[in-house]
Amino acid sequence: MPLMPKRVKHRKSQRGRIKGKATRGNRVVFGEFGLQTLQGGWVSAATLEAARVAATQYLRNEGRLFIRVFPHKPITSIPLETRMGKGKGEPEYWAAVVKPGTVLFELGGVGADAARICLSRMAHKLPVKVRLIKRQTA
Amino acid sequence: MTEKLSVEIRKENGKHAARRLRRSGNIPAVLYGHKEETVPLTIKGEDLSRVMRHGARFVELIGAVSDTALIREMQWDTYGVELLHVDFARVSADERVRREVAIELRGEAPGVRAGGVVQLILHSVDIECPAMAIPDKLQLNINHLELEGVLRVSDLSPPENVTILTDKESVVVQCVVPLEMPEEAAPAAEAIEPELIGRKAEPEEGEEGVEEK
Repeated sequence: MPLMPKRVKHRKSQRGRIKGKATRGNRVVFGEFGLQTLQGGWVSAATLEAARVAATQYLRNEGRLFIRVFPHKPITSIPLETRMGKGKGEPEYWAAVVKPGTVLFELGGVGADAARICLSRMAHKLPVKVRLIKRQTA
Repeated sequence: MTEKLSVEIRKENGKHAARRLRRSGNIPAVLYGHKEETVPLTIKGEDLSRVMRHGARFVELIGAVSDTALIREMQWDTYGVELLHVDFARVSADERVRREVAIELRGEAPGVRAGGVVQLILHSVDIECPAMAIPDKLQLNINHLELEGVLRVSDLSPPENVTILTDKESVVVQCVVPLEMPEEAAPAAEAIEPELIGRKAEPEEGEEGVEEK
């Protein structure tokens, strides 16, 4: 089941604007390798789930996957062939708002080759350009 | 051997001057410590790349300033590609300094052959050592790590003169049975909405709540 909040203060939110680059959540901190976005955008909960399933199928219970973003934002839409007006549409799905530089996923406990293949399979599912990064050593 | 780094005094301050400097291939830096004056510096990008390539942490500054210093902090851009700024702290060669050093696992755990997964919990430890002898990394042998076993900071064997400051009981690595992760996404039978904070269901409507509309 895709990720979504358990409790929210409001059912709908305004669209907002993505300004600037990520100044937090832009380094690998839990695992050894990560997928960092090069573009900003909305990543839906279904997309995150698809990437997670792709990783799980490849890893086969080896290593550990960390999902670094959470879909907090409700995205609404109005049905097809509906006349304009009558208020804002109903929530359709949940999305994570990502700025360029955000680390979406991290992998730990696997070798460099396996991590590269796994993260590249996950990257195919994503709507933003990403790159593979390694943990910066202390 | 100590790496030598040629530096110049930086006359202009501020973000615009720093950006101009970076465009011309230089890196802004600063030297401080030992209760002496703070000195803004400029370093050539290629010189700093050479020092970083060699993994040096203790450098000898030559040129406008003659001193020995420790690379205290490096600031990177959002993507971790471009170096923005470097902090140098004045230290003498025999002075003891505190640093964070990465942990590297060596060997193959027998627990993996028994179906376990090795999880590195602590990626680095704080150490105190002479400035001249900062280790690149501390190695931890996992050849005796059985399934459901753990290795702690006390199992690390640091070189001579190196004191580990991190709590000795902290777990560094463990070998655990892998968690079964659901492979396929469960089909969403119906759109489930999250609970609304501050909105309570009316008592006569029972469990159906107010979100039914």
